[in-house]
Amino acid sequence: MNLNFKKILEQEKFLVLDGGMGTMLQAGGLKLGGIPEMLNFTNPDFITSIHKAYVNAGADVVYTNTFGANRLKMAKTHKSVQNIIKTAIANAKNSGAKYIALDIGPIGQLLEPTGTLKFEEAYDIFKEQIQAGEEADFIVFETMTDLLEVRAGVLAGREYGNNKPILVTMTFEENKRTFTGCEIPAMALTLEGLGVDAIGINCSLGPEELMPIVEELCQWTTLPVIVKPNAGLPDPVTNAYDFDAEKFGSCCEKFIDMGAVILGGCCGTTPEHIKAIVNMLKHKTPVQRNISIPSAVCSANKTVIINQPRVIGERINPTGKKRFKQALIEHDIDYILNQAIQQIDAGADILDVNVGLPEINESEMMESAVKAIQGITDTPLQLDTTDRKALEAGLRCYNGKPIVNSVNGEEESLNTVLPLVKKYGASVVGLTLDKNGIPKTAQGRFEIAEKILHHALALGIRKEDVFIDCLTLTASAEQEGVMQTLEAVHRVKTELGLHTVLGVSNISFGLPNRELVTRNFLTMALYAGLDLPIINPNIANIMSCVRTYKLLANIDKNAVDFIAHYGNDTAQESKPKIPQDSSNLNLESAILAGLKSEAGIITKKLLASTEPMEIVNNILIPALDRVGADFETDKIFLPQLIASASSAQSAFEVIKAYLCEHSTESVNRGTIVLATVKGDIHDIGKNIVKILLENYGYEVIDLGKDVPYESVVEATNKTHALLVGLSALMTTTLPSMEATIKLLKQHCPWCKTVVGGAVLTADYAEKIGADFYAKDAKETVDIAKQVFQN
Amino acid sequence: MINLNAVDRTQAFRYMGFHGEPDEKLNQLADTCEQKLLSAVKPRYCWKLFQKQEIEFLLLGQDIQKHLEHCEQVILFCATLSQSTDTCIRLVQTNDILAGMMIDAMASAFTEQFCDSVESEILNHNFQHKYATWRFSAGYGDMPLSIQDDFLKLIHAQKRVGVCVTDSGLMIPRKSVTAIIGLSDTPVETSKKGCAICKLRQNCPYRAKGVHCN
Repeated sequence: MNLNFKKILEQEKFLVLDGGMGTMLQAGGLKLGGIPEMLNFTNPDFITSIHKAYVNAGADVVYTNTFGANRLKMAKTHKSVQNIIKTAIANAKNSGAKYIALDIGPIGQLLEPTGTLKFEEAYDIFKEQIQAGEEADFIVFETMTDLLEVRAGVLAGREYGNNKPILVTMTFEENKRTFTGCEIPAMALTLEGLGVDAIGINCSLGPEELMPIVEELCQWTTLPVIVKPNAGLPDPVTNAYDFDAEKFGSCCEKFIDMGAVILGGCCGTTPEHIKAIVNMLKHKTPVQRNISIPSAVCSANKTVIINQPRVIGERINPTGKKRFKQALIEHDIDYILNQAIQQIDAGADILDVNVGLPEINESEMMESAVKAIQGITDTPLQLDTTDRKALEAGLRCYNGKPIVNSVNGEEESLNTVLPLVKKYGASVVGLTLDKNGIPKTAQGRFEIAEKILHHALALGIRKEDVFIDCLTLTASAEQEGVMQTLEAVHRVKTELGLHTVLGVSNISFGLPNRELVTRNFLTMALYAGLDLPIINPNIANIMSCVRTYKLLANIDKNAVDFIAHYGNDTAQESKPKIPQDSSNLNLESAILAGLKSEAGIITKKLLASTEPMEIVNNILIPALDRVGADFETDKIFLPQLIASASSAQSAFEVIKAYLCEHSTESVNRGTIVLATVKGDIHDIGKNIVKILLENYGYEVIDLGKDVPYESVVEATNKTHALLVGLSALMTTTLPSMEATIKLLKQHCPWCKTVVGGAVLTADYAEKIGADFYAKDAKETVDIAKQVFQN
Repeated sequence: MINLNAVDRTQAFRYMGFHGEPDEKLNQLADTCEQKLLSAVKPRYCWKLFQKQEIEFLLLGQDIQKHLEHCEQVILFCATLSQSTDTCIRLVQTNDILAGMMIDAMASAFTEQFCDSVESEILNHNFQHKYATWRFSAGYGDMPLSIQDDFLKLIHAQKRVGVCVTDSGLMIPRKSVTAIIGLSDTPVETSKKGCAICKLRQNCPYRAKGVHCN
């Protein structure tokens, strides 16, 4: 915590914040649809008088009238953010308040991937506000619902706020989550990790509904807790709030008993409400909270407490996997996402993310992978890299509290990795090796673990956030080392009291029946004290080993989880299910019928006797042509077309993997760039087009949605693509389609453009200069054939 | 009574461009998608009552003026299936494009169902003695999407239900609707106008086939 803020709290015992600003502005005649921040200029005395009323009521801190004073919301006012904020601070100072807090509300646009605002843009917007607010005493973020947005703000505050105390309050619903799904523990873990000075709750609910939320928050943070409730809930017809000052004050007393020390009011509260708080506090002293926060990692929406073995999935890692490497080189994020989904479905609690490859920019890849994975899942991540830049890129945009994999006992590693772990509030894996390599003995590894812990503690990283990896050596090469590893695990766990992590699969390398060896080692390691096994959760027998251990160790009480997974198993080994009898089915009929897994299985069989390109040219494409013709004549509809395309896709995936392993040849009938234009985020249509084009053997560079004009040009230039497909679904984004085409004509005169999307017509396509208009995905394929003359 | 425990499949299939009787496979997929969708949605709404003259600045275009011709008061409301629905659609779309398309269409259909239920709840609980128009949204007829930002601000939609708008007028979370309902003491037009007012009528695949989307 900031030393000044600590001192202030010690002096004041409690800090009283002000009450609602919006309510007062409306009472003072702010017009509907008017911009509250403009009153800082048009009626500064009025603003100061509101602040003064709160100061007179006993508030120690007033929030500046700058809730929406960011460049996006203020664009209409033609006033600079700097001017607005400086003026607002001056108005606040004129009230004679003890402390002035620079008030920052949500930006007003949602961040990617749900919205279109980029994390870096959000950071930049907050940075501008914070720099403009240098005269304020504190920085306050309030009414926040997106933890990622808060992180952008807090990072900007830490980096540009001249060490000012940073206070954050978020808005929760009665289900103890924010609108975006953020949980209380995740908020607390993440923000305390980032070094915020006080956290709490404001708005949305009245004091009574906030009780359980504040109670939980107090269990999850050692920071001072803030509560700024509404005066009850508003009536949509009369607009009145239902708590008077007296009731408000007495309700707030319970927050003090729970441990809160900073109180104020939000919507509907008035100076009277604040006075009621001040009166209530006269007879109170702060409660001493003795809590210990457990070891835990989280995403915004999910917290994983390390109080029992938790599985870290190891599959997002290119080591020894040609297909994965190819996916990285082609920036095929969907491939990585599918690896993530598979492991989560199999039972992984945390996913390791390693996307390092010499041929690619690892920082960019790490950032893309973290953002994309967090866009579809809540599972917390472990960022696995030896590249400092890639690590920081991942840590910056990670939403929650991740694990860093890893630091080791070398000075250089300790000095570069640990400061990043501290700055971003992560947990860290410490490898028990140093410049002399891996010590042979358990004692040697134990000593390195101690050294890593010592360094971490010196930087202020909590013991609970250090996980030690005693390193699994291959049993076939260093048989005598196996028990040393296990002994080290045991000692680190019992003597240092740290949690432990191990990459388990390595144990069986070079041995027959690897699974058998891995499973037995895993059980031994769990018994020795392993908390975080890094394994392949997709192997059923390895996951069953973890579940069985939890049953036998009395962690899985009443075997609930075990029975849920294995309750239907008969005594015989259950065989993996083979989807439908595929022996009588040929590839063509599988595609026509849209049988996805069958198409893959048949293709695998076919590859034993048929050349891959022969399958593509003689079976896949003719089958798709037939499907396309049926679609055009209304014999089938879009869902069937897509089902067939998906089954062709799974056949293609098998062929791709085969080509990766067996030759340098690849299927490419031409390169096509696809994008949903800037401002538009509808991408289902574009994705259907993509699959169909890929079915026909075209290499598709999919730039995604909301793509800047320049990025389309850049990708077209880089790949020298002959065809660019652009999609837009809204009338408001058609101009950006036109602008993209114009720029393409200028910079890539060789390429043709094809456009599509609900609001487009052939006429309009011509008007904006597109070469082709496609009414559906099938027609796009016909156009591609025409352009590439194949 | 509007059922929010099931998705209106007929409508969802229609959004997907599917005509005719779905086969067993498609129905099975619809079952899975429906289950996933219903466990992901977090329907929320907020609304506020205004005097018409208070919000004239919002009522751009002739169509909305005509729509509210005989109304003194208006209800502005916003309904959303929330961000969890967007995430669920993204997830399903990642490994199965057909399921992704299905769940997206189902979410759109469900948004309409939710709006119907919100509308009847607001009207039945508060305005039983008034006549209400059908709900009109920005983007219908000549009412521009550019009003979304002010619309959402007027009812504090971000604070109360977590709905924002992008520069291009798109609401986020995606499955969100804003609508205007006019209230009057005398009878008003209560049923929707159909193709005449629709912007897509030039290019509409349903009209080409001689049918309607709704």
